[in-house]
Amino acid sequence: MVDLSPLQEKRYHRNIQVPCIGVEGQKKLLSSSVLVVGAGGLGSPAAYFLVAAGIGRLGIADGDIVDLSNLQRQILHFTADLGRPKVESAADKLSALNPDCEIVMHPYVITQDNACEVVAQYDLVIDATDNFASRFVLNKACLDTNRPFIHAAVLSMAGRVMTILPHQGACLRCVFREPPSPTAKSTFELGILGTIPGIAACLQATEAIKYLLGQGELLVNRLLIFGGLSMQFETVAVLRDPECPDCGL
Amino acid sequence: MFIELRVYTGLEKYLGISHGEKMAVAFDGDTTIRDILGRYNIPAVEVTAALVNGLHKTLDYCLQDGDRVSLFPPVGGG
Repeated sequence: MVDLSPLQEKRYHRNIQVPCIGVEGQKKLLSSSVLVVGAGGLGSPAAYFLVAAGIGRLGIADGDIVDLSNLQRQILHFTADLGRPKVESAADKLSALNPDCEIVMHPYVITQDNACEVVAQYDLVIDATDNFASRFVLNKACLDTNRPFIHAAVLSMAGRVMTILPHQGACLRCVFREPPSPTAKSTFELGILGTIPGIAACLQATEAIKYLLGQGELLVNRLLIFGGLSMQFETVAVLRDPECPDCGL
Repeated sequence: MFIELRVYTGLEKYLGISHGEKMAVAFDGDTTIRDILGRYNIPAVEVTAALVNGLHKTLDYCLQDGDRVSLFPPVGGG
């Protein structure tokens, strides 16, 4: 790996001072790649912190455009970005934040047809989507390409996070077998406080960095659930299911 | 016989417990998770996943003494 430049030593000084990172860890981050699927409430802070931390290449996938109702939580997008593709708006901010990081735009929806091809270009995938159909596609693609998949979901004042290491622990469908009923209420009806996806995304970015550095204990076989009102965080033990349709034995 | 029941993310209101608090629930004979939902008036549409001892189960799973049951509502936003 290439040595850090004097400017990089200064930019990442506070990272480098962390005992489990150091210079070698920072070099690892700079040579790593992460795909963030979704440039919304989860994707904005997750991408922001990963790029700030010095991830070398960050892909951002989203087929949507910036809407006024996004701006109370999707912090990569500004009022002047209304109507722009989210990936372009995100790439502008992220490139300006850290020129060390190559930003790759995927201005389309990740589907069963393109998921494996896109996922395989990265070391790790962040689930910043807003629907179960996309999550299930990504879960399977990550299993097929052996990429870690860091799941999060939020609603109203609550959220959850889980890290999936393919074929080593429970996958998303081990726990959530079917998508919610079409009549289940979404953030459109129940709302979402902007800080809630912010909390979940910061946990996702932390998990991603830990994985890339090979440090700490990941949320594998543990579903972390938090409540913003009670401000309680709890982990629920989950097991890999031999009968799982995606990763079953 | 008893199960240890935990519910999350808004389902607490049906049991009158707080986030992460466990509740011992007594049952007799053949009782399913769906029966427990009925007992506490939890709409099935509000439970998107049920885990028993860490493993996914359908709502028609017959409970065993000592099972640890966790219920999750649909949370899918991003």
